[in-house]
Amino acid sequence: MTARPAGRDVALMATCLCDAFFDDVARASVQVLEHLGCRVAVPADQTCCGQPAYNAGEWDAARRVARHAMRVFEGEGPVVTPSGSCARMLSHGAAAMFEREPDRGAAERLAARVWELSDYIVNGLGVTAWGGRFEGSLAFHRSCHSRGTACAEAALTLLSSIPGLRIVEIGETEQCCGFGGLFSTTFPRLSREIGALKLAELRSASADAVVSADMGCLMHLDGLARRERRPVRTLHVVQVLRDALRLEGSGAAS
Amino acid sequence: MKGPPLERYAAAQGAERRDSVRLGSKAGHDARSVAFARDLSDPDGLRVLAGRIKQHVLEHLDTYLDQAERRMTATGAEVHFAADAQAARRVIATILERRGARRVVKAKTMVSEEIELAAHLEERGIECVETDLGEFVVQLDRDRPSHIVKPIIHKNRREVAATFEGHGLGAYDDTPEVITRRARAFLRRKYLDADAAVTGANFVSAESGRIVLVTNEGNSRFCLAATRCHVAVVGIEKIVPTDRDLAVFLNLLARSATGQRLTAYTELIAGPRGPGQPDGPDEVHVVLLDNGRADVLSGDCREILRCIRCGACLNVCPVYRQASGHAYRSVYPGPVGAVLTPLLAGRRLTGWSDLPGASTLCGACHEVCPVDIPIEELLPRLRARAARERAPASAAGIGAWSLLASTPAAWRAALAAGALFEALPASFRSRASGPWGEHHDPPAWRGGAFRRWLDERSRGGA
Amino acid sequence: MTDDRRRVLARVRAALAPLRDRAPMPEYADDVAFARDVLDGRDLVTAFVERLTDAGGLAFVDPRALGAWLVDRGARRGHCDPSLVEALRPALPAGIAVETRFERARIDDYDFAITRAAGAIAETGTIVLGDATTSHRLAALAPWIHVAVVGRSTIVARVVDALRAAGSDANVVWCTGPSKTADVEGILVRGVHGPGEQVALVVP
Repeated sequence: MTARPAGRDVALMATCLCDAFFDDVARASVQVLEHLGCRVAVPADQTCCGQPAYNAGEWDAARRVARHAMRVFEGEGPVVTPSGSCARMLSHGAAAMFEREPDRGAAERLAARVWELSDYIVNGLGVTAWGGRFEGSLAFHRSCHSRGTACAEAALTLLSSIPGLRIVEIGETEQCCGFGGLFSTTFPRLSREIGALKLAELRSASADAVVSADMGCLMHLDGLARRERRPVRTLHVVQVLRDALRLEGSGAAS
Repeated sequence: MKGPPLERYAAAQGAERRDSVRLGSKAGHDARSVAFARDLSDPDGLRVLAGRIKQHVLEHLDTYLDQAERRMTATGAEVHFAADAQAARRVIATILERRGARRVVKAKTMVSEEIELAAHLEERGIECVETDLGEFVVQLDRDRPSHIVKPIIHKNRREVAATFEGHGLGAYDDTPEVITRRARAFLRRKYLDADAAVTGANFVSAESGRIVLVTNEGNSRFCLAATRCHVAVVGIEKIVPTDRDLAVFLNLLARSATGQRLTAYTELIAGPRGPGQPDGPDEVHVVLLDNGRADVLSGDCREILRCIRCGACLNVCPVYRQASGHAYRSVYPGPVGAVLTPLLAGRRLTGWSDLPGASTLCGACHEVCPVDIPIEELLPRLRARAARERAPASAAGIGAWSLLASTPAAWRAALAAGALFEALPASFRSRASGPWGEHHDPPAWRGGAFRRWLDERSRGGA
Repeated sequence: MTDDRRRVLARVRAALAPLRDRAPMPEYADDVAFARDVLDGRDLVTAFVERLTDAGGLAFVDPRALGAWLVDRGARRGHCDPSLVEALRPALPAGIAVETRFERARIDDYDFAITRAAGAIAETGTIVLGDATTSHRLAALAPWIHVAVVGRSTIVARVVDALRAAGSDANVVWCTGPSKTADVEGILVRGVHGPGEQVALVVP
């Protein structure tokens, strides 16, 4: 497998969730990448990676959205996204959907340029230690889409190098949070029950907040917890990185 | 209650049952983790190797079936093919009736459940007794197993004790040792009075023609030692190339299933009993079953046929743990069942179309699978198949969404418009958020905020 | 029946026909499974005994110690393979009755049975039985206590070695500890249909 393109000219795929709900995570991604000396392009026509349709088995619809992404992110350089799940969709999911399609080559070319954000910082830019300071303990939630990729290890590498920050491992770490995208709407009870188990593990870890590299998981856990009237603090890895350095916009973690 | 069948079944079970399944599954997974870490220097390498061996067999199954048949015949076994469940039942019934067998003892085999053998034999006046303790309890209760390795993972000792009492197996006693002793005594008489034995097989060696049975209780040993006629029903996908390759699978199977190095008994059977041996069958039949497997082989999910029925995927699956096996309404529950059941059912997925959706695609099953089956990649393919079978109207929502997501101007307008929705009361928003709103407080709508920030900076603002 | 054979093989062939490349058979070394050399510098007998004990079994090298243990367990009557009885009878206490027959009709009369093993596997603590070496399959299976007489030189190191040594015996059975189940609430109970005590007597 050829190496993915790296370098400091990057395109950012903000993700539809950040576009709609988590603008601070998208902002932090830009700020952190610029802090590392990157020029960050954010194509205005971007929308989504197509995962909801892929999960639903509506592959014609999913391909339509993926093709739009292929057009929007046309180019040679790295495409970075603060979401392990979107990164996986554009690589693995696209491979399955475009297997028999005439533009399979174009899908493969985009797949070969996609990086999850922590993975990019550590393995694309070679940054293995973060500086600054972050007081407190964070429970790290490994999202399932990071399985078999470098992104969870990359995130932990960065977080555990921040002075003052204590990473807390949680029990049954291999168990999913129960989001599963579409699953949370097609099997809402099971999704909630699985999420409740994860919340119990998180709470017994007694950390100040939960940190993850996937807003899908955090949105799900946060939504369940607030409905229970027992909210938990949730943070994206990139928000912690920004706040540790007191970059502009910091404050999500205080 | 609305929702997919699997969700409704899951909701209908009691908390006690749910806890039994969840804790039993977790214990199985933890035992597996300990055994893998202790004994295997490269567990993932071994799983991938086993997966490649199986994939090789599947993609050369025509050759291997032919070879396995010849070698088994050379050991003195009689080999039969069965295209479907009905053919398998017919073959087995014929063998038994030709022997005048009225009482059969059966060792645990999912395939016999798949072809619904016991009911068919009972109809023909042939008693068919389950000898695996869990399956024995299931049979007494007229229940169904809920796990492929631990059939009564969903029951507690009190339920089992009540079952035994209800069937005249002694006064109520829920001590596991007492329950086991009673089953030992009762089933011993059944073995000794039986005319024939039916088993499955975990593997068939195409090199030596040996069939391999992996058990802990000693029930299959007793079935074969006490009777004169052995019928083994085996799926055509159970073949391995050589005896040497059995080492790879035997090193993985028990560790994956229960955390043991090997189960208490591994039987390598090559035809009828040896010369000079007073006990054992004089007649061995192997029924090679298709029943939809060739169909699966022809499709885009053929990797599922690598499965060696260890149950590790069930043990780790968050959905299985919460829903339990019965929610899958099938012989094969859990992640493997979510793929195999709809595929074996035939050309259309109807009736099982909720199973491929009953997953977060977390991939934990793939990580523990001893033959490296990428179940989280197979499930979306099945979802695509289910989507093609549905009426086009049901895809309208996703269709409209995909149009929005490929029309940037409309997308940006929707981001802005969402702010209006945000102004509505929280309770209304929750209800209008559909299934999401049932259990979640939705996040605040911030559509357009990131893009405005980008615009401001590019104008030198922020 | 042959009609089904034709149908099944035809379906399988048809299923595989469109495949352009078929997955090759991977090559691998014999010792692919284990982290440590199971012998760890010890001899096969020591390793075998350790692993057998791990699996819930019991090992003796001295027939008299075995005899004392049988008495201790309350054993009063048992079966012994006729080819072993001359060597072992003297070692067993006089109070124990030993038969060289094994009568199915009196199956529950036998508290123990002593039969020959065909071999053993050190890395898993497994006793290997076979039709050729076992006086009666039921003797090795039905009594609560089974004693397998294992010749030291028949112990092999690994599972893959045992497969090579399986030969043409019609019924090779690898016994790794006593019969067991955890079907009721995951609680381990020994002695389901087979022996509750699996013993190896290791002899020269």
